[in-house]
Amino acid sequence: MNLNEAQQRIRWAVFIILAGTAVLLTILDNTGNLDEVLTFLRDPLAVIVGWTSARTDSIADVLDGPRDLQTAREELAQLQARVDILERENEQLREVQGEYQLLLDLFNRARQQPAFSRLTASVIGRDTSPSLRSIIIDKGRDDGIVVGMPVESARGLVGQVFRTTNNSAQVVLITDNASSIPARLGSSRATGLLRGGGLGGATSIDWIDLKRQLDVGEVVLTSGLGGKFPQDIVIGRVIEVDRREAELFQRAIVQPAVAFDSLEIVFVITGFHPVDTEIFTAPPGG
Amino acid sequence: MSSSIYLAVPVMLVLTVAQTAVLPRFPIVGLIPQLPFLVALSWGLLRGVNEGIVWAFIGGLCLDLFSVGPLGVTALAYMLAILAVIWIENAMPANRFFLPIIMAALATLIYLFIYLFLLQLLGHQISMQVVTGISSTVILHGALILPIFWLMYYLDQTFRPRPVKL
Repeated sequence: MNLNEAQQRIRWAVFIILAGTAVLLTILDNTGNLDEVLTFLRDPLAVIVGWTSARTDSIADVLDGPRDLQTAREELAQLQARVDILERENEQLREVQGEYQLLLDLFNRARQQPAFSRLTASVIGRDTSPSLRSIIIDKGRDDGIVVGMPVESARGLVGQVFRTTNNSAQVVLITDNASSIPARLGSSRATGLLRGGGLGGATSIDWIDLKRQLDVGEVVLTSGLGGKFPQDIVIGRVIEVDRREAELFQRAIVQPAVAFDSLEIVFVITGFHPVDTEIFTAPPGG
Repeated sequence: MSSSIYLAVPVMLVLTVAQTAVLPRFPIVGLIPQLPFLVALSWGLLRGVNEGIVWAFIGGLCLDLFSVGPLGVTALAYMLAILAVIWIENAMPANRFFLPIIMAALATLIYLFIYLFLLQLLGHQISMQVVTGISSTVILHGALILPIFWLMYYLDQTFRPRPVKL
């Protein structure tokens, strides 16, 4: 065996060992056997990411903003908060309008918006994958965050907690491909399943009954079906209706209310307890 | 190779922090480049396939710590892409200008296809928009590789052991 052959063998051995390790890690991660180890690794890194993110935000603001930065930032924050409140109020008013029609026909009682406790968290990072959509927030297990908790911003639904460490949590956005949320339309009262379109893709509501007449501009809210999300959180607005008479269902393209790229602060709904519906999906006697 | 691994771990950790906390605030024409991938590729082109795949493995694992994707998938996709392009590079004439650009574009293409295929295989849904967006990332990586490659070249020159004259 000459030197060249030996080098070749070492090269393949290195590759096979590393590739094998990667596959093994994938399997262990998928089966949940690495959770503790990953939490141990992610915790210190999340602190560094949080610190870096805060400094980056300041630098980005300096680069983007005017000279009188402090005053402008305060004014902007106040105006933005005001706009967010007004937009939300507006969306809630439209929702109330839709409900009013229903209430006139069916019953005369007011709906109560459930009051949930919320925990404020800062966005400290974003998914490193080119195709997956998630954010990292600076609150974790130690703050009472658990997997499955819904996350919203001042403007609407953001996503759901997917993974937690002691001091951070990863939130899958509603625009991620894996996201699937039962949704309801404000005026037409049609229900369907909101699916994320991934990076650059359109978020849409599938499986809407063809009998329902949908309008562009309708507010989209969580329906609360399935028990994983509270009812009536604003998701966005219908911007396009894909209706084909030959098909059984129609589809609505949704513009999310939240601007995910500029998201800085979110609220984790801690007072909501997802309902376990597994018992209904299990086979009888199983 | 051993000294290079000691260098790879801190470099990739720093790049991962940059990838998750800094780069998303400064997208280039709406795109976020995969900096650890470009650095691992540059290192591989300079120091050979062995070191390239080790850097790719470390970089991929670090990135997966901050992704909802399964751990190890990025590492595997990085390694396969870098292994493939360095194998192709050996059959091409040496050139410090055009070769990194071609290799970066090709490696990005291979990496993204393998990565998306593996995600699909593991049950993640991949939208067509992501697949059609691959070409933009390929062009971006092709444009960014030269400064990174030259930076890594100077780093390599600094860390490479020099022959001692007796």
